[in-house]
Amino acid sequence: VIDLADYRAELHAWLDANHEALAPLHSPPGTLDDHVAQMQRVKSILFDAGWMQRGWPERVGGRGGPPMLRTELGAALAARELVDPGLFSLIEVLAPTLIDFAPPELAAEVVPRLLSGAELWCQGFSEPDSGSDLASLRCRAVPEGGDARTASRWVVNGQKVWTSLAQFSDRCVLLTRTGPADSRHRGITAFFVDMDTPGITVVPLEMLNGRLEFAEVFFDDVVVPADRMLGELNGGWAVAMSILPYERSSCFWQRIAYLYRQLQRLVEVAPNDDRAAEVVGDAYVQLHALRARSRATQHRLAETGTIGVETSIDKVLVATAEQTLYDAVRRLLPGTIETDEGAAAATWRSEYLFSRAATIYGGTAEVQRNIIARRLLQLGGDE
Amino acid sequence: MIDAGERTAMEGTVRGAIVDALSTRGERADVDAVLQKLGWLEMLHDGPDDAIGIVFGALGATNATATALDDVLASALGREPRADLAVVLPPFGVWGAPGRLQGSDLHAIGLATARAAHARELLVVCTTASEAWAIVVPSAVAEVRRVNGVDPDGGLHAIRVQRSAEGATRLDPVAWSSAVALGRRAIAHQIEGACRAMLELARAYALEREQFGRPIARFQAVRHRLAETLVAVEALEATLTAAREVPGPETAALAKAVAGRTSRTVSRHAQQVLAGIGFTTEHRFHRFLKRTMALEGLFGSTDEIVLDVGRQLLATRQVPTLIDL
Repeated sequence: VIDLADYRAELHAWLDANHEALAPLHSPPGTLDDHVAQMQRVKSILFDAGWMQRGWPERVGGRGGPPMLRTELGAALAARELVDPGLFSLIEVLAPTLIDFAPPELAAEVVPRLLSGAELWCQGFSEPDSGSDLASLRCRAVPEGGDARTASRWVVNGQKVWTSLAQFSDRCVLLTRTGPADSRHRGITAFFVDMDTPGITVVPLEMLNGRLEFAEVFFDDVVVPADRMLGELNGGWAVAMSILPYERSSCFWQRIAYLYRQLQRLVEVAPNDDRAAEVVGDAYVQLHALRARSRATQHRLAETGTIGVETSIDKVLVATAEQTLYDAVRRLLPGTIETDEGAAAATWRSEYLFSRAATIYGGTAEVQRNIIARRLLQLGGDE
Repeated sequence: MIDAGERTAMEGTVRGAIVDALSTRGERADVDAVLQKLGWLEMLHDGPDDAIGIVFGALGATNATATALDDVLASALGREPRADLAVVLPPFGVWGAPGRLQGSDLHAIGLATARAAHARELLVVCTTASEAWAIVVPSAVAEVRRVNGVDPDGGLHAIRVQRSAEGATRLDPVAWSSAVALGRRAIAHQIEGACRAMLELARAYALEREQFGRPIARFQAVRHRLAETLVAVEALEATLTAAREVPGPETAALAKAVAGRTSRTVSRHAQQVLAGIGFTTEHRFHRFLKRTMALEGLFGSTDEIVLDVGRQLLATRQVPTLIDL
């Protein structure tokens, strides 16, 4: 049995001792290329030292132990601003998919490459006409020769959008339509696609903070071997849904650690008066409630092995707290975001603008409230 | 500490006993007697962290009036809790000790539970920058006035004491802040119980009330208000769990701040969903609304706590995370 407090102490001592090697090489705020390079470099150092493997199963090159070890690592890196938590925590929504749904030898081959920073992967879910309504996706995969049971290859045609880091990625966990056009969640199949396959075109999208984090990805007669299917034929919805517990536990905890760090940055420079005290106090109270909720969620996941729709509450809290925090920055440092030059201002500006997406990505605030109303409050259908 | 299953079972028992008493005796039910019979003082003695959650949650959910807060505070201040000892609470909205010493005189202004109306003695705490004293005074020498205010059934009393400070005994300087922390958690649990009750009243009404040929629960505007309400209540519960598992003045203060804020969110949305009927005394909603309005001011209003927390963040330039996995 691993004592989490001991593990945390050991981890932080190691990170302190290796701070120089891990610290970003770029000056803030840094470009997306800088952040990706920094993340891969940090992963590689941590992998060589054995930290990246903690909490992952041994059959994919891990060192075993509870998944909370991964959460602690990601949170420690986020709190120290060694990696961008939004990019780093993508591991949590990609590697488990391979572990749970890929042929074992494929998972054993590729997961260590993701953990060590040798590769980057992306997630091809959303489409131009399938955002909140993911089950309506249309990117089509057809078996070569027409028979899904005997085909050795599949051919993919269609388009994805909001694919984070697609232009840097070596592989993609891709959701495709394999059933009839109206089969919704019953006719979706997941594949693990090499991004250098002929027929894939990546067009980065510029976000409102100037970063090219997302991309459109076009698939034009892209051939995918049948043994790259993840899960069952037409079982892709289960693959997509299986990500939720990871996203809503580990990823959130890492994001929360980062938000505490950003509040720390704010209180270091905010004026010391009562108006500022009210504003930072309010942000802190919200962050604490969020942290308490997320802590309870992770304990429940560790004890029962599962979490579900009740994490829509965590999602609402994380989005609200994040926007409150950056609103606080804007209120207490007037002009910093809007007109100031310099590294600190550029970082706040980029972060503030990105925080506006918190109520949109990963299921909009409205979709979460719909889920809470229907599933948690049992208010029945809304039609 | 007991496990979650035992806690749920005990909550059910306490709530059931209170509901029984209220349904047979109405508002004149002696809820303190019900709690005594359930072994409240033993529970408090054995594990105050669990006891306050179970009992105050049930008091909030049933809108019952009791004086268990006196026992919580007396015991936190190192006294044996007894039915004839009431503890003077800080005035509405703040949390400093209610008493002060001027020369050889004691002056105290504060609030108290319904116990003050019949208790033989009052316990008054006085603090200075570095020291604290406790003084037990006969209630006969105090001015004890029932507070009618917004929640006349809540049992609050206004207390004023002015007499010689004779008999003051020194307290551990942190005793008052420990008592405030426990008091804050008790009140926050009571508010949570009331918030869940308000949500359930609004939810039930939304499913039953029909307009435009369908239950109003079908309308997204109504659904989102109720969803927002559940988010707030669940966040409050999580902060209370954190305050129980990582006890201290900081987690207790934050739980109380979240409780006050939650009560405002919940009562606003629940009242809007209940609409006309929630505006009458025919419906029970108004009792919970008024009770939470009164409770929010005990041991510091939300705004005062948030301001205090923010001042500390800015004074120290440090943001403590307080709770870990």
